[in-house]
Amino acid sequence: MATCKDCKSFFAREEDRSQGDCVMRVVDPRQAYYKATPVEAETDASKCSSFQKK
Amino acid sequence: MGKNTAQTEKALSVEELANRREWWFVAEKTRSKRLDYLRKGVWKKGAIGGNYAPGIKIDLTFPQLFTETWQEHEGHPIMLQKAHALAHVLDNIAIFITDNSQIVGYAGSAPHNIVWHWQGISMVNEEIYNEEGIIPEPEEESLEILATLNDYWGGRTSVDKLARVLDPEDAVKFMSGAIGWGTPTSAATYSTKDFDYIFKGFEAILAEIEERMEETEERLQGNPSPELLPLYDKLPRWEAMQIVLEASIRYAKRYARLARTLAEHFESDPTRKEELLRIAETCDRVPANPPRNLQESLQFDHFVQVLARYETFEGAWPHRPDYVHGPYYDKDVNQEKRLTREEALDLVGEHLIRTHEVGIFAPKYAREGLQGITGTWVWTMGGVKPDGSDACNDMTIAYMQAARLVRVSNPTFGFRWHPKVKDEVMRECFECIRHGLGYPSMRNDPVLVANTVHWYGHPVEEARTWVHQACMSPCPTTKYGCQPMRMASATANCAKMIEYALHDGYDPVVNMQMGPKTGDPRRFKDFDEFFGAWVKQMEWLRNILVRTVNLGRVKDPEFFGRPFLSAIYERAVETGTDAVDPSNGERGNAWVTGFTWVENADSLAAIKKFVYDEKKYTMDQLMDALNANWVGYEEMRLDFVKNAPKWGNDDDYVDDIMVRCLREVSRHAKENKCPSNNNWPLLPENVSGNIHYANLVGALPNGRRLGDALYDGGISPGPGLDKKGPTAVLKSCSKFDHVTAGRAFLLNQRLSPTQLSGEKGYQLWKAYMKTWADLGLDHVQFNMVDDATLRAAQKDPEKYQEVIVRVAGYSAHFVDISRKTQDNIIQRTVQGLG
Repeated sequence: MATCKDCKSFFAREEDRSQGDCVMRVVDPRQAYYKATPVEAETDASKCSSFQKK
Repeated sequence: MGKNTAQTEKALSVEELANRREWWFVAEKTRSKRLDYLRKGVWKKGAIGGNYAPGIKIDLTFPQLFTETWQEHEGHPIMLQKAHALAHVLDNIAIFITDNSQIVGYAGSAPHNIVWHWQGISMVNEEIYNEEGIIPEPEEESLEILATLNDYWGGRTSVDKLARVLDPEDAVKFMSGAIGWGTPTSAATYSTKDFDYIFKGFEAILAEIEERMEETEERLQGNPSPELLPLYDKLPRWEAMQIVLEASIRYAKRYARLARTLAEHFESDPTRKEELLRIAETCDRVPANPPRNLQESLQFDHFVQVLARYETFEGAWPHRPDYVHGPYYDKDVNQEKRLTREEALDLVGEHLIRTHEVGIFAPKYAREGLQGITGTWVWTMGGVKPDGSDACNDMTIAYMQAARLVRVSNPTFGFRWHPKVKDEVMRECFECIRHGLGYPSMRNDPVLVANTVHWYGHPVEEARTWVHQACMSPCPTTKYGCQPMRMASATANCAKMIEYALHDGYDPVVNMQMGPKTGDPRRFKDFDEFFGAWVKQMEWLRNILVRTVNLGRVKDPEFFGRPFLSAIYERAVETGTDAVDPSNGERGNAWVTGFTWVENADSLAAIKKFVYDEKKYTMDQLMDALNANWVGYEEMRLDFVKNAPKWGNDDDYVDDIMVRCLREVSRHAKENKCPSNNNWPLLPENVSGNIHYANLVGALPNGRRLGDALYDGGISPGPGLDKKGPTAVLKSCSKFDHVTAGRAFLLNQRLSPTQLSGEKGYQLWKAYMKTWADLGLDHVQFNMVDDATLRAAQKDPEKYQEVIVRVAGYSAHFVDISRKTQDNIIQRTVQGLG
C-alpha cells in the first residue's frame, strides 16, 4: 500500500519523522504558490490523485 | 478595455500618464516587479455591490477542524474549549507561500478562500447555505458539510444565546433592520491592540502567565476564604491563553518549515532561495520573540492580525503601523543600512497587499453597507507621541508612497494632523489624495486628543496614542484604553428620529410601533413641541441600541470567549480574565455611530420654516404629502428641496437647529453609560448605510422620497445642496464644538483635480486645510476624481478597474460599488478652492 512517506510531495519533520508536510505547487488564475498540509507518514495514499512515487 | 487602447496607454511615459491623471497606470509603471506581481495576484474579497466576485469560496476546512475539536471538549469553560479548537486549526489548516512574497500568513487555506465565523449568528449561517457562487466544489458534498455544521451550531451561537436573555420586544426591534445594524457580540467585532505589550514576544507573555498561575495555585493551597474562590475561574482562562499562544508559535514555525523546504528542495534561483531562508528565519523568530528588524516587525504584526481573524470576524483594523514599525525602518534603512529604501518600500507595499487580501464572509446587509471592502480597515498615521512631540517618521512617508504604488482600497489611512507636521509629510498626504485614493482622511489631532480626554477621562498621554478604532473613532492603545469589542454595534439609523417624531413613534416602512407615542404632529402647537417629540424619539432610539449592546458586552465572555485576544491584552493576562470582560479595568470608549444624521437638521429646518414660522403649509398638508411619498405633491416637494434652508451653507437658521440637536444628544450621551460606567457620545458617519437604508426610511420633509439615497453622511451636506462654496461648508460645520458635541464628525468633500494640479494646487489645498484646522473641525476627507472619469468608468468598468473613490469612512474601487452609490458620489458638489 502506498503511503504519504513514499510520495515526492512528502517532507518529514525533523523532530518527528512520522509526521510531515504534503507540499504542493498550485497555480490558480491569479497567482502561483506552494501549499503545505500536515499529514502522517503512514497515511494511505493509494487513492490520492496527486501521489507521485519518490 | 480594447487591446489597442491598453497598448497605447502602456506605451505612454509616466509623465504623460500623470498629465492625464491616469494614476493607476502610473502605479503599474513605477512599482517593482515584485509588487506588480503581488498586487495583481490578489483575489478581490470585497463584495462588488453586494455580491462576491467569481471564484471566491467559503473556507470549509476551518469550521470542520474547529468543530471536531470543539465537540471533543464539550463541558470545558468556553475560553478553554475555544483555545483547544483554535490550536487544532492552527496546527492543521493548510498554509501557503505565494511566489515573490516576503510576508506570509493568511486567514484561510487558499488565497481565494474567505473565512466564515459560524459561531456568531445562526441566521448568517443559513444565509451562507443559500448563497450562490461561494460554495466550494464539489458543491453537493460542501452543502452536506455546511448542513451538518449548521445543525450543530444552530442555537449554540453567541447571538442565539444572547437572544434568550434579551427583552423580546427589544430583540424584535433591534433585529428589524430598521433602526440600526450590527451584532452585539464579539463574534463580529474589532479590537485595539497594544503593540508595546505584544512585541515583548509570546514567549515572554507565556512566562508571565506561568508565573501568575503558579502564584495562584500556591494561594489556593492556603487558608480557605471567599476571596480565593474566584481564582478557580482564572486558572482555565490562563490555560486557554497558554494553549493559543503556544499554537500561534507553532503556526509561525510551520511557515518557517515550508519556506526552508522550498529553499532546499524546490527553488533554484539563488536570490529567491535567500529570501525564503530569510522568511524561515523570520517565522522562527516571531511571534515567539521580539522583532529585531523591519521584516520581523511587519511579519509579527501580520501574524497577530491573521491569528485574531481566526478567532473572530475582526471587521476593522485599529492600527498605527508607522508608529509601531518606524523604529525598525530607521534601524534597517538609516542606521545599519541593512535595507535600501527601495527594498523597504517593497516590504511596506507588501504589508498593504497582505492586509488587502484578507477576506471574511459578511452577511448581505453588511456587504451592502460596506460595498467593495471586507471591513473598515483604517490605519492611523502621523500624530504625536505621548509627550506631545511629532510622531511622523520615515515609515509615515513610506506607507504613503507605497499606497500610491499598490493602490489598495483597504487598508486606507487616517492622518493625524497637528501644527508640528512637516511640509514634506503634508505633501505626501496630498499626493495620495491627488492620486485619487480618497485617503488619507485628515484628522485634527489636538481636537481629537482633547475630545478623548473629555468624553472618557483617558489621561492625555494615553489619549495621544490613539488609533482609529474603526472608520472614525479614536481609541488609545494602552493597557486600560484598548477597546476589545465593537461597541459600535450601537449604530443608529438616525433618520428614524425625525420619521418617528412625525408618525407618533410608528414606523410606516416596517409597519410597526417602534418608538414611544409622542403624539400626532398635526396637533402640536409650535416647533418647540415638535422638537420635544424629536428629542424623545432620539433618546428612545439610542437607549434601545445602547442597552442591547451593553448586555451583549457583559455576556460575551460567557457566550463567545476570546482566548487569543485575552493572551495579547496586558490587563487580561494580569487578571486572568477574558479581554472583553469590562471588569478588568477597561476605562470605556463606547460611541453610538450615527448613520443618516443630517436629514434630521434639514427636515426640522423645513418644518420650522414652512409650517411654523411662515405657515406656508399646514402640518396636515405636509403629513399628507409624506404619507403619499410625495407622489402628487411634486411642486411642493421641490419647494422643500430648493427653498427650505439646508445644512452646509453657513445659514444660521438651519445650523442653529443642528447645534440644538447635538446639544440634546451630547446631554443624553452622558446619561447613557457603558459597562465601565463611561459615556456614549454620538459619532455621525455613514459608511454606505445611506444606500442600504434608502428603502427603509420613508419620505422626509427635506424632500426625500422612500427609495432615494440618503445623504452621504456624518455632517456632510446633502449632495448638491451645499451651494455657497467650501468655506461656507466649513463654517457651518464649525458652529458646534468638535470636542464636546460628539465623538467625531465625518465630512466628505469633493475637489477638482484640474484646479488642484501642480504646486499651485498643493498650496490651495494647504490653505484650505489651514482654514479647516483654524475652525476646529475634527475630520475631512476628499474625493479628487472628476465626473468625466467616473462617468467613463460607469460606461466601461473594465478599463477603470483601479479607480478608487472615498465612499464614506472608507475607500473602494469605483467599479465595486453599486450604481446607486456611484451616482451618489458623482452628485456630490465639486468644491472650487481659492
